[in-house]
Amino acid sequence: MSARNEANALLAIAARDLLIFRRDWGILVFSLFFPIAFLGLFDGLIGQNLAAGLPFNFLQFALVGLVGCMLAQYTMMNVTSLVQERETGFTQEIFVAPVSRFSIVAGKILGGSAMALLLIAPFFVVAGAFGAPLSVGLVSGILWVAPLALLLGGAMGVLLSGIFATSPKAVDQAVILVMFPQMFLSGAVIPVSHSTGLLGVLVRLMPATYLVDLMRTVAYRGTAVYGSLQLYAPGVDLGVLLVVSAAFFVAGTLLFVQWEKNR
Amino acid sequence: MPRPEAEPVIEVRGLVKRYRESDRPAVDGLDLTVRAGEFVALLGPNGAGKTTTLSILTAALTKTGGTVRVAGFDLDTQAREIRANIGILFQNPSLDLRLTAEENLRFHASLYGIYGYRPAFRLMPRAYREQVRALARLLGIGDQLFERVEKFSGGMRRKLEIVRSLMHHPRVLFLDEPTQGLDPVSRQSLWDHLRSVQRTEGTTILLTTHYIEEAEGADRVFIVDHGRLLTQGTPESLKVQIADRYLLLDAADRGQLLRDLAGSPVTPREDGLLQVAFDGATPQALLARLTVPLTVLRIHVPSLEEAYLELVGREAAGGEAS
Ligand SMILES: Nc1ncnc2c1ncn2[C@@H]1O[C@H](COP(=O)(O)OP(=O)(O)O)[C@@H](O)[C@H]1O
Ligand SMILES: [Mg+2]
Repeated sequence: MSARNEANALLAIAARDLLIFRRDWGILVFSLFFPIAFLGLFDGLIGQNLAAGLPFNFLQFALVGLVGCMLAQYTMMNVTSLVQERETGFTQEIFVAPVSRFSIVAGKILGGSAMALLLIAPFFVVAGAFGAPLSVGLVSGILWVAPLALLLGGAMGVLLSGIFATSPKAVDQAVILVMFPQMFLSGAVIPVSHSTGLLGVLVRLMPATYLVDLMRTVAYRGTAVYGSLQLYAPGVDLGVLLVVSAAFFVAGTLLFVQWEKNR
Repeated sequence: MPRPEAEPVIEVRGLVKRYRESDRPAVDGLDLTVRAGEFVALLGPNGAGKTTTLSILTAALTKTGGTVRVAGFDLDTQAREIRANIGILFQNPSLDLRLTAEENLRFHASLYGIYGYRPAFRLMPRAYREQVRALARLLGIGDQLFERVEKFSGGMRRKLEIVRSLMHHPRVLFLDEPTQGLDPVSRQSLWDHLRSVQRTEGTTILLTTHYIEEAEGADRVFIVDHGRLLTQGTPESLKVQIADRYLLLDAADRGQLLRDLAGSPVTPREDGLLQVAFDGATPQALLARLTVPLTVLRIHVPSLEEAYLELVGREAAGGEAS
């Protein structure tokens, strides 16, 4: 099979996810609701109670981290729809095709990535309208690192799909169980750069830590707070993200396929 | 009908499948040879191992033992080449109900590399649009082509899956219980369609069924049970091979009738008629020897169903003994 055929199949798989997404109004409404709730509550509560003595803008800090995590989570959720599709029988049609198993899974990641970017767009619009401290540098920084967020989230989704291939319920719960600690331990909303002991270890075990770290480093480049919030050099973050994503992607794909083949 | 010397496109030798959680093999040393252009049926009761066999032949399930070649490729080393040359209709539905019929077809066409994917029907190449319009006419669905499949009836969905499995012109088409859930009219039109595909494209077709009437329409029938091949042959030859064929006779002059039948196996029946078994497809030879005027003449030619039930029943009885 030629690379062209693989790319075509990958594209068709991604496009199908977008087509279904377009017809799903629930998730679109949710995507508008979330940023409003976040900016209204988070900004108000934390701004009034917590952020007074911080040397940086807390809302801006949390916004960068959250966007990174949300991009990863939306992609992850789309990839794990593989498990639902296994239940409904549609994966039979996909996996019997003369296409690499890796292309199929990459198609799910690509589809999820496009969805994640569409879902995150209202966030910026609403945030801007509410007067959140968004600068061109900040947004472009986030967008530069976004592909890594999508890749990591997608690869985590592949691994979860591989582990919980036989249970749509279990995989849905797993997504939440995986994302919840990442949200807090990665430094997305609470700074973790001074964590030590057990917490320090946990922080470093979370793949999202390296994502959030890199995203902030790039988003804050050329500003006064640049460096003060940084955990690792960008090269380290990038290396960890690529290695972890590749490992999850390969392991998850092989696991998912073997559930069907080696019964 | 294919020529007998056509090359084999499905060759299965000693196929064994033992599922992980199972102590009894689901497929137990199966041999099959299907020649190019043949239309064959795998007939057997539920649990015989038909779906398991098809899953292995389509590279969706690993085997425990044996060798498999499909469309000239070896399953162990050329699974992808096999995938590119086959079409399959799964026993369980495999349509995306949230997509329209056309979107399901477009997805399939892109997956098999027939056409480059475009995000809308009107952006797809003209050849694709014509092919899909023709398929819609075949299905009799017209503009429903652009409606979501979840609105389709079970029979319509099944037919859509079948035309989809043929879009990429596979050399071998596997159908697992294709007529399940279809009404008699749809069944007949499906068979007509498969026959015309076999004729015009030379497609080799292997379908599984547990309906005997259905197997009767095939060129050749493989009867399987407990993962083993019990017998095979044309529907006609199976009837001869498996079940008894006999004449029921009577005459006013019984004595003359018995003299005419001398040398043939004659069994008097409780209803007073004489049952005379005959060999071969017709009782012509036997009838030629009769000189006496007959009062009763009935020919018992078994249906494939009787042949099948006898065979599977025999097998079940034998299985209990062992
Ligand atoms: N995933 C599985 N794990 C264990 N046993 C299975 C599995 N699938 C099918 N079987 C068993 O294998 C045998 C053959 O099943 P199957 O191939 O589906 O038969 P058929 O299609 O002829 O009805 C049955 O006894 C069935 O219970
Ligand atoms: Mg079956």
